[in-house]
Amino acid sequence: MNIFVCVKHVPDTAARIDVKARCRIDENITFIMNPYDENALEEAVRLKKVTPEATVIAVTVGGAAAQETLRAALAMGADEAVLLETRSPLDSIQTAGALAEAIRRRGPADIVFTGKAAIDSEGFQTMFRLAAHLGLPAASNVVSFGLDQERAVVTCEMEAGDREVLEMPLPCVIGAAKSLNQPSYPTLPAILKARKKEIHTTVLEALDLPAAAGHVACLDMTPVVDARTPVELKGTFEEIAMEIIHLLRREAKVLP
Amino acid sequence: MKRIGIFIECKNGRLKDAVGGVVTAARCDGGELYALLLEDGGDDGRAALESWGVHTIVDIRGENGPLPYHPSRWAGALARTIRHFDLEALVGLSSLLGKNLLARVAAELDAPLVLDCTAIDAARHTAVKTLYSGKTRATLQTKGAVHLYGIRPNAVAPRSSPSRANRTAYSVALPDDPIRLREIQRSADSGVDLTEADTIIAGGRGMAGPEAFKLLEDCARPLGAAVGASRVAVDSGWVPHRMQVGQTGKTVTPKVYLAAGISGSVQHFAGMKTAGLVIAVNKDPKAAIIQKCDYFVVADLFDIIPALTEQLNKISSKAQAMR
Amino acid sequence: MNKQYDAIIIGAGVIGCPIAYELTKMGRKTLNVDKLADAGEGSTAASCAIVRAHYSTEDGVAIAYEGFKYWLEWEKYLGYVKDEKGLAKYMNTGSILLKSQGHDWRKVQKHYDAVGVRYEEWDLNKIKEMVPVYDLHEFWPVKRPEDPEFFNEPTRFLEGALFCPEGGYMSDPALSAHNIMRAAEAKGAEFIFNAEVVEIRSRDNQVVGITLKDGTQIDAPIVVNVAGPHSYKINQMAAGVFEECNIKTKALRHEVMYCPSPQGYDYLKDGYHTSDGDIGCYYRPEVGNMFLIGSEDPECDPQEWVDPDLFYAAQLPYGRGNELTMEQWRAQTYRCARRVTGMQIPNQPRGVCDLYDCSDDWIPIYDKSAMKGFYMAIGSSGNQYKNAPVAGLMMAELIDACEKGLDHDKTPFPFKLPHLGRTIDTGFFSRNREINYDSSFSVNG
Repeated sequence: MNIFVCVKHVPDTAARIDVKARCRIDENITFIMNPYDENALEEAVRLKKVTPEATVIAVTVGGAAAQETLRAALAMGADEAVLLETRSPLDSIQTAGALAEAIRRRGPADIVFTGKAAIDSEGFQTMFRLAAHLGLPAASNVVSFGLDQERAVVTCEMEAGDREVLEMPLPCVIGAAKSLNQPSYPTLPAILKARKKEIHTTVLEALDLPAAAGHVACLDMTPVVDARTPVELKGTFEEIAMEIIHLLRREAKVLP
Repeated sequence: MKRIGIFIECKNGRLKDAVGGVVTAARCDGGELYALLLEDGGDDGRAALESWGVHTIVDIRGENGPLPYHPSRWAGALARTIRHFDLEALVGLSSLLGKNLLARVAAELDAPLVLDCTAIDAARHTAVKTLYSGKTRATLQTKGAVHLYGIRPNAVAPRSSPSRANRTAYSVALPDDPIRLREIQRSADSGVDLTEADTIIAGGRGMAGPEAFKLLEDCARPLGAAVGASRVAVDSGWVPHRMQVGQTGKTVTPKVYLAAGISGSVQHFAGMKTAGLVIAVNKDPKAAIIQKCDYFVVADLFDIIPALTEQLNKISSKAQAMR
Repeated sequence: MNKQYDAIIIGAGVIGCPIAYELTKMGRKTLNVDKLADAGEGSTAASCAIVRAHYSTEDGVAIAYEGFKYWLEWEKYLGYVKDEKGLAKYMNTGSILLKSQGHDWRKVQKHYDAVGVRYEEWDLNKIKEMVPVYDLHEFWPVKRPEDPEFFNEPTRFLEGALFCPEGGYMSDPALSAHNIMRAAEAKGAEFIFNAEVVEIRSRDNQVVGITLKDGTQIDAPIVVNVAGPHSYKINQMAAGVFEECNIKTKALRHEVMYCPSPQGYDYLKDGYHTSDGDIGCYYRPEVGNMFLIGSEDPECDPQEWVDPDLFYAAQLPYGRGNELTMEQWRAQTYRCARRVTGMQIPNQPRGVCDLYDCSDDWIPIYDKSAMKGFYMAIGSSGNQYKNAPVAGLMMAELIDACEKGLDHDKTPFPFKLPHLGRTIDTGFFSRNREINYDSSFSVNG
């Protein structure tokens, strides 16, 4: 069984984000594996453990630094690692096309796990595009996964805590949510073993993939500055409650 | 004329509250708005849509009547509708449902999509959204034959633009779908993970015990919020460690952080300093958090939080009563 | 009319608060000014708050051991004051000093014997029995994971350990400073916050008071610099003071990591504070059953000396700023993972990055200055948290003696440790000492 996991090398949530040139950030900061991809990888490794003759293949599209995330994937239990190397910033459409090609070349895929979104671009769509390229059904925001007679049974989180339970044939694409599992991190011996493994690298541009018809380009990017000047809310308890609701509605926009 | 499709989300037989904002966002010069409904929008649905400027209302159906909810079939229906009516854009809500459907449609059409937009210009094909967990704001431009956008709920205020709308039905014939929807499980709790929550209400030393956290849960429910805690509450054994926000707990990035009875030590702040709006309720006017928040109330949380819950429930039941 | 006090203490951290407490008990009217919002919110909050007795000098050991008495009887030390935030707790885990080439442990043992510190000698079997998860090979010398030799198979074993049943840590350090503040206030001390000192005023080389950023002037004939990482900047504000010190202080960047305990090992319940010079780390339990892993600044690790204002304003680049680096995350967690079998290392760095107020020889400066009435309790170098109550008493008595006419530079004030009965020659902490090469030049002190 070929279990693919698509991972992304992203800035740490704690990292300071400095906008450098138009739409690019200063990358001299801490980068990590996209946290949702950790959940995806964990589920893939758990599936491998109960499946005879299964291989977990981690795939990523990114710069040379993305090798770090592939090493982390190998340390967490992936058997193989594939890097499609590029210096260009890619949108979701391009990324999905590249991942699909990498999977086809290494393939065939019996199942693909990936995080439901990347914490930098927050696009929430690459996995669906990947599934469309490969002609596979897909489900995202998955909080539980199981196999029932060669069919994937997944529970997906919906609004207000509701959940939908879907069933799909294999192969399919699964978008992991945080509560899917608790990732099991590697011990030092596993980290050491992973350092010695080969990462299969191909330059993306050399694949000469056809240009996509659609595209998302970044025109401009500015930092969000958060300087707080505290303002006191006064009045009766009811007035203060109404004022808070007003803030939630007008400023934070979390209420209609 | 640009034909712009808007996926209209409904709930309990009515249009969702945030829909007005989505239609407003989709309006532009030379834009002809097509409201796409997969469910019944209720008796006043049409009037509401017309008040926001919709020109055509399309009731999308299956071959044998309404299409019951199914993630990929609904997406397939929307994709076919776009093709059929030659729409150049599809705008929807960036809700969990909307994100799911819009992404599926975009994948099927191989069309560009920007989710969680705080603003769009359907004429120029630009969209504004935050990136890097809210640390930057970007203006993106979509290029292609069809453009898809998901509007962050409540980011755009609804503005009226009265028009008259034609209504038409469109029947789609969908192929067999490999995905089977086994069931939908309803839940009372929002069950949202602290690190993913848009709104967090957290309790600290001022909670004075575990029982008071029920007050926070009651407030969190109408807000769809997650409940967190400061280290003191965890060290005192009132709540489990997984609820702790701070240096030795979780780091959170919500749009709203409501701190009840939390003094706001530097270690706590390290876990929530990138929150959008910080509102502090504390009896002590000298509490450190009052220097570090956006809004504060010097009062007993046992007075304020129940008052807030009461008002939130009033609003939510008023909305229910109007149905 | 400016407000007038007997003494102004700059800083309300874990050293500034006990100085106020002791001076107040001696009858002086004190005011602490701190530029942050509450007591202990500065570098104190980031302290690992380790309480241990092993130091490279006998006086160091004595002072630390004296300090134990205060932490162990915390409520009594505080005069049974009530603190609305609760009391900090002393976690008496016991303290393991692994015998390694990273520590001159024989010297430490000598000092233990001289001072009367209670300890046991553990052989490898004993350590294995008490801490089954420790791999007791020798990994010396300390290396970085980038070094290909880092993962070499070890061939030798450590010799054993010195175990102090009385060591451990305080949970949590910021709260402990807050507790001492409340104790001081109960005796009449005053504290103001969000108050940044911008000027030290003097006349005829006698300090007369301070000026705050908002223009407020407060007068006092005694001013004590307990400003932590900002200590050199405060010294620079007092005419002639900074230049006259032979030992200077600078802010040193320091990263501390939190890593989950291995599966099945309840470090919080069963674990020990451990000084592990063999891998250049010290570690202790932290909430959430984690290992708090501090570094002993081994030679192979880069040292970053920074401007504290730029650091805290997040205006320094990666590697010099207040964010954790992946490189140091790996260095400290991988080192600890060599010792602690089964330790699982998350991909995402987690911990604290803050500053030490470091002196040239990593020994603090508890002294007067070239300016009359201006004193300093600085250069804690990451190793003085445990001595805070003792330092408070020592400074108060030193200040009192100097104000009553003692020429402290000529005849250093003899400080008697109340519990041990031993007298410390405070000249040891002089700002004018020559660099003390007996020092370990590290956080070990």
